[in-house]
Amino acid sequence: MMETEPTEDIDQPLRDRLKAHPGPALLWGAVLCVLLLLEGPTYLDGLLGAIGYGLALLPGSPGAEAFASASAFFGELPHLLSRELIPNRGYYDGSAWQGTFLGLEPKYAWLIRFLLVYAYVAVLLGWLWYGYVLFRRHYRAADWTPTDDVIDRLRSHYWGLFGLAVVVFFITMAAFAPVIGPTTAEENIEGPYSYDMQYYNEDTETVENITIGEANLGSASRGSGDSNVGIWSYDDFGRFHPVGTLVSGKDLFTFLAFGARVSLFIGLGSMAIAGVIATTLALVTAYYKGVADLIVVLTSDSVQAMPALLLVILATVVFKNHWIAELYNGAMLFILLFALIRWPGLWRAVRGPALQVGEQEWVDAAKSYGQRPTVIMRKHMAPYILGYLLVYASLTLGGVIISVSALSFIGLGITAPTPEWGRAINIGQQYVASQSWHISLIPGLLITLVVTGFNALSDGIRDAIDPQSEGAEGGAAGAAAGGGGG
Amino acid sequence: MSRATYMLKRLVLSIPVIIFGTTVTFAIIRLGPLSPAAAILGPQGDARAIQQIEQRLGLNDPLWEQYFDFMGNLFLFDLGQSWVINSGTPAVDLIISYAPRTIWLGFWAVVIAIGIGIPLGFYAGLNPNTFSDYFASFGGIVWRAMPNFWLAVILVTVLSQSEQLFGFSWTSFIVETNVVTSPNLAVLRNPTRLITDPGQAWTNLAKATKQILPPALVLGSASMGTEMRIGRTAVLETINSKYVETAKAKGVSPRVLVWKHIFRNALIPLVPVITAEAFILIGGSVLVETVFSINGIGLLFVKAAKQGDLPLVGTLMYLFILLIVGLNIVQDFAYTIIDPRVGYDA
Repeated sequence: MMETEPTEDIDQPLRDRLKAHPGPALLWGAVLCVLLLLEGPTYLDGLLGAIGYGLALLPGSPGAEAFASASAFFGELPHLLSRELIPNRGYYDGSAWQGTFLGLEPKYAWLIRFLLVYAYVAVLLGWLWYGYVLFRRHYRAADWTPTDDVIDRLRSHYWGLFGLAVVVFFITMAAFAPVIGPTTAEENIEGPYSYDMQYYNEDTETVENITIGEANLGSASRGSGDSNVGIWSYDDFGRFHPVGTLVSGKDLFTFLAFGARVSLFIGLGSMAIAGVIATTLALVTAYYKGVADLIVVLTSDSVQAMPALLLVILATVVFKNHWIAELYNGAMLFILLFALIRWPGLWRAVRGPALQVGEQEWVDAAKSYGQRPTVIMRKHMAPYILGYLLVYASLTLGGVIISVSALSFIGLGITAPTPEWGRAINIGQQYVASQSWHISLIPGLLITLVVTGFNALSDGIRDAIDPQSEGAEGGAAGAAAGGGGG
Repeated sequence: MSRATYMLKRLVLSIPVIIFGTTVTFAIIRLGPLSPAAAILGPQGDARAIQQIEQRLGLNDPLWEQYFDFMGNLFLFDLGQSWVINSGTPAVDLIISYAPRTIWLGFWAVVIAIGIGIPLGFYAGLNPNTFSDYFASFGGIVWRAMPNFWLAVILVTVLSQSEQLFGFSWTSFIVETNVVTSPNLAVLRNPTRLITDPGQAWTNLAKATKQILPPALVLGSASMGTEMRIGRTAVLETINSKYVETAKAKGVSPRVLVWKHIFRNALIPLVPVITAEAFILIGGSVLVETVFSINGIGLLFVKAAKQGDLPLVGTLMYLFILLIVGLNIVQDFAYTIIDPRVGYDA
C-alpha cells in the first residue's frame, strides 16, 4: 500500500480509473468481444430458448413463441463451434469421404471439432484470467488484498487445480453437448426414426438412404457375436462412435454429453437454492442468535435425521404424474428435493464461520453506526462465509450427482429418453464382462472422475481460504461425498 | 451439567426431530398428488375397490384426524399392514423377516470398513509423504468417489466370471455359493445348531459370510475411504503433539509410543465417522441390495415404493428415522465416554 503514488486517489471509482488509462482495458475488451462473437449465436440461442421455455410454463405462455422463434433464428446463424462448419457425418463412396470436414475421415473431423471446443473454452478462460491480471495491475486501487493470497495459494495447489480442470472439462461437456458429440440427442436418441442419413452400401456400391433408427439397429452393442461397436470405432454405416454404442445402437458419447447436462443442471440448481437458504439462515442465526438459532438447529437436525435417498425415492414415486415431474423430465423435481434435503449440511458448514464473523468488531461498529441488520449481514458478514459455502457446496454437488445417477440406475427419476449416466450403467449391467463392457464402465468411470474433481476442487478452495485448516477436516465434511448414499 | 442430565436433554431434543420427520412422511404420502388408494391399485383400479381401501385407510376422515391416527399408530408401534408386496401381512412380520439380512450386511460393512480403512489410514499417517502414503491416500479418495451401485455391478461381474477372467473361481472358493443371491441366515436364528449339527451349520455360516462379503465391501467403500483419510490426519496430528514428543524424550520404546500414545488418541476423531456410516449404510443398502438381489429392508423399501405400497413405505420411513436418531444419541453418548472434554452444552 505504501508504494501507491500519493497523487492517486484510493476512493476514485473504477470508471474514472478506466478513463484515465483506457489502453489495456480497451484491447482486452475488444478481444473478449471477438471471442464471444465467434460463439455469439449459440449463447443467444441458449439464452432466448431458456427464456422461451420458462415463459411457456406460465399460464397463457406470453411471448413464448416469439422467444422460441428468435432462438431458432440465432440457432441458424453460422458460428465457430458448429456441426455445420466442421461436419463429421458423411459416407465413404469407395474412394473418398463425402460430406465430412475437408473430406477427412469422420473420426478426425469429430476429433477436430471436439478439440476446438476445448481450445475455445481454454482460450476464453485464459483471457478472462488475463483480464483479472490486467485489472490487478492497472485498475485496482489497492496493491494487495487478502483475495490475492487466496488466489496465489489456489494457483500452487496442484490437487485443487486438477479438480478445477476436471470441473471445467465436465461443464464444457454439458454446455456444448449439442456440438461436442458425434451426433445430436434429437437425431440419435429422441427421434431416430424421424431423421434420415446416407450411407454407402458396399454390396450394391451405391449410396442409400436409411432412417437413423434403422441404422441404430445395425450398430447395437449386445455383448456377443458381431453385434458390438466398441470404443473408437465405426459402425457399418460409416458413423464414428468415440466410446462405442449402447445396447440400442445409440451413440454413447452423445448420451454421456447430454447426461452431463442433466447432472450439472440438477447439481448446480439444487446447490444454488440450498446455498441461498443456508447463507440466509447462517447470517440470521449468527446475527440474532438465541431462539432463531435454536429453531434452525432443530429443523436442520430433523431434516438430517431423515434418510435422504429414501425420501427422494418416496417423493419421486408420489410425484410421478405431477406436473412438476414433467419439467425437464423430472430434473426440476430433483433440484427442489435436493435443495430441501441438503441445505442443513451447507448451513452446518457455514454456521461456525458466520458465528465467528458475527463477533467481529467491525460488525459491532456497523451496528453502532445504525446500519440496518440486512445491510450488515450482506456487506460485512456474507463475504466472509461465501468461501466456506463454496467448499461444502462443491463437495455436496458430487454427492448429488451420484444420488441422481443412483436413482436412474434403479429406474426412478430422470425418465427416458432424456439421457442420464446411471441409466447407461443399468443398461450395460449384464454386458460388463463381455466385449460391450464400455456401456457400463465408461459412465461409471466418468462419474468417479467428476466426483473426484469436485472433491479436489473443494479441497483446493478450503486450503486456499483457510490454510490453517489443512488436514483438520471434520468427519461431517468427509462423509458428505459418499453421503449421497450412492 | 452431569452426564445423565446431558443425555436426558439429548433424548428430549430428539422428540421434535422424530415428530418432524414423521410429519413430513405423512405429508408426502397423504397430501402428495398420488393418493395411497390409487397407488395400491395402480392405474386400472376400479372406483369401488378404491373406495373400499380409502375406507379402510381412513382417507375420507378429516385431515387432522388422519394425521393423529397416523402419528399415534406409529408411536404406539401399531405399524399397519402391507397392501401390495405381501397383501394383508402385518408390516412387523415383513420387517422381521427382511431385517436380519440387512443387519448382517450392515454388520459386515462396518467391520470391513473399519478393518481395512483404519489400519491403512494409520499406516499412511505413520509413513507420511512416502510412495505408499500417496498410493493409499489417492486410492482412498478415488474409492470414496466411486458410486456404490457401479462398484457393485463391476464386482458382481468380476466375481461371477472370475474363472474366465483370472482363472480363479470365486463361486467355488472354500464353499460353493452364488454371487447374486440372498444369504441364508437360518443358522443364526438357531445358533445351537453350531454345536448339535456342526458340519452342516458351520458350512451354512461360512456360505452366508462369504456371500455377504462382496456387497459389504461395496457398502462400506465410502466410509472406508473417509476412515482412511481421517485416520491419516489424526495420526499425523497426534504424532506432532507435545505429549508424544515428551514420551519420545523420556525414552519410551517406539512400539509402546505407537500403540499406547498415538493410536488411542488418534481414534477419537474416528468415532463420529464410524457412526456417520450408519446414514450411508441406510441409503446405500437400497442400491447394494438391489444389485446383489439381497432380500433386505432396502430392497423391500424400493419394491414397496415402486409398487405403490405407500402405507408400508411410511412405516419403513418411520423406522429408519428412529434408527438414525437412536444412532445419533449413541454417538453422543460414546463421545462423552471416550473424550470427557466434550462439552455438554449441545
